[in-house]
Amino acid sequence: MSAVDPNFMHEVANTPRGEGVLTCIQCGRCTSSCPVARFLDEHNPRRLMEMIILGFRPEVLHKLPWYCLSCFTCLDRCPQRGDVGEVVFAIRSLAAREGDIPDGVWEQAKNLLDTGRLIPTTGFMHRQRENLGLPEISTSAKDAETIMKRVGFDKMILKARTRKSEVTE
Amino acid sequence: MKYALFLGCLISAREPSYELYARRVLPHFGVELVDMPETTCCAPFSIQSLDYIGWLSIAARNLAIAEEMGLPVLAFCNDCYESLLMTSIILRDDPELQGKVNDVLSEVGKEYKGKVEVRHLLEVLHQDIGKKKIKDAVQRPLTQLKAATQIGCHAVRPKMIHPTLAVGLETLDELVTALGAETVDYEKKQVCCGGPLRGVNDEISRQMTRQKLQGMKRAGANCVVTVCPFCFIQFDLGQLEIKRALGEEYNLPVFHLVELLSLASGLEINDWKMRDHRTPIDPIYEKIKGS
Repeated sequence: MSAVDPNFMHEVANTPRGEGVLTCIQCGRCTSSCPVARFLDEHNPRRLMEMIILGFRPEVLHKLPWYCLSCFTCLDRCPQRGDVGEVVFAIRSLAAREGDIPDGVWEQAKNLLDTGRLIPTTGFMHRQRENLGLPEISTSAKDAETIMKRVGFDKMILKARTRKSEVTE
Repeated sequence: MKYALFLGCLISAREPSYELYARRVLPHFGVELVDMPETTCCAPFSIQSLDYIGWLSIAARNLAIAEEMGLPVLAFCNDCYESLLMTSIILRDDPELQGKVNDVLSEVGKEYKGKVEVRHLLEVLHQDIGKKKIKDAVQRPLTQLKAATQIGCHAVRPKMIHPTLAVGLETLDELVTALGAETVDYEKKQVCCGGPLRGVNDEISRQMTRQKLQGMKRAGANCVVTVCPFCFIQFDLGQLEIKRALGEEYNLPVFHLVELLSLASGLEINDWKMRDHRTPIDPIYEKIKGS
């Protein structure tokens, strides 16, 4: 295990949606309400918050953040507005900036950048829509691309893919 | 009741039956849908996970389109609803952030002034139209149905962003009951369908769906009803995947709420096999038609 990073809790707290980590009192209500925690020992929201507080940066960023369903049950249960279900977004974005994005999410991000949609439509679907009398889908791929490039999203997902191919090669 | 329709990616690409019957049946209840031009993806939780300003800007651009139309946004999809609603609340409460987002949006010639109301199909049915009107419009009561409802997390959680829909899970049950059907309470009713773990951990994703299907069966349900297009796939396609992986069959037809609303209001569901349903709906559909 690598050395702890004493600044990690504040790094997370200063990342959008991460501020709740400062108020966590480790009561464990999040874990007891988490539907994934029942199936997977690795995913333990209380422990995730503890690891952030104690500064286990690489372990948190590169092993743990993607099992959360974003079902937001923990947000409704947390007595402290610690909101681990929100904090997860902060640590995912930190991981993503370091090139760590799961394949499924990466595909969606790439689709958004290229087509303006997460799920592109096929020629068959366009034809079926026409047969059913449904209107043509109107999407602005160009605006999505402009916005995502403006915030550096294109570079982020390129970096993630490059890193992934380096790891696998 | 006039709304800017935000259709989203999943329904328009994969679930034409949802869209078709929503477009057919809602006008019967005085709802006028105006399609939003030149939208993009809503930026659901996967995209929210990667970039905060990117998410808010993509969502706010969609909100700005509805603002130009001068209409509230109506989302059929739970995840579109969550993304657009959450964005509208975050920007409303943080003018500085709204400024930053508008700075990004200026590159595409848009501005979000912060005046758009975001509604979910459930809210429109339950609050704007109301149970009574829906009940009064029933021509064919769905008395053969014992429905297990799956409302979908983002229609009701987190509570802090759902001031009006905080009534919770019973909203969908009340609507299904208004159509003459019975609804069942089942174990894990409030729990996520497991869909978001698709592609991250398929095994656990399946196990979560399976535990809900088991609860539904034990409670005596003969079908599943949902408003969320992701939950729909998770239960409909999910039953086939569970059969392949685990050899278990549940045979629970899965309906979009608008399909049942259409049937109860006297419309027919023709050629459903060409459309969304992978788990056959005939056993139930024949019962409804025969009654």
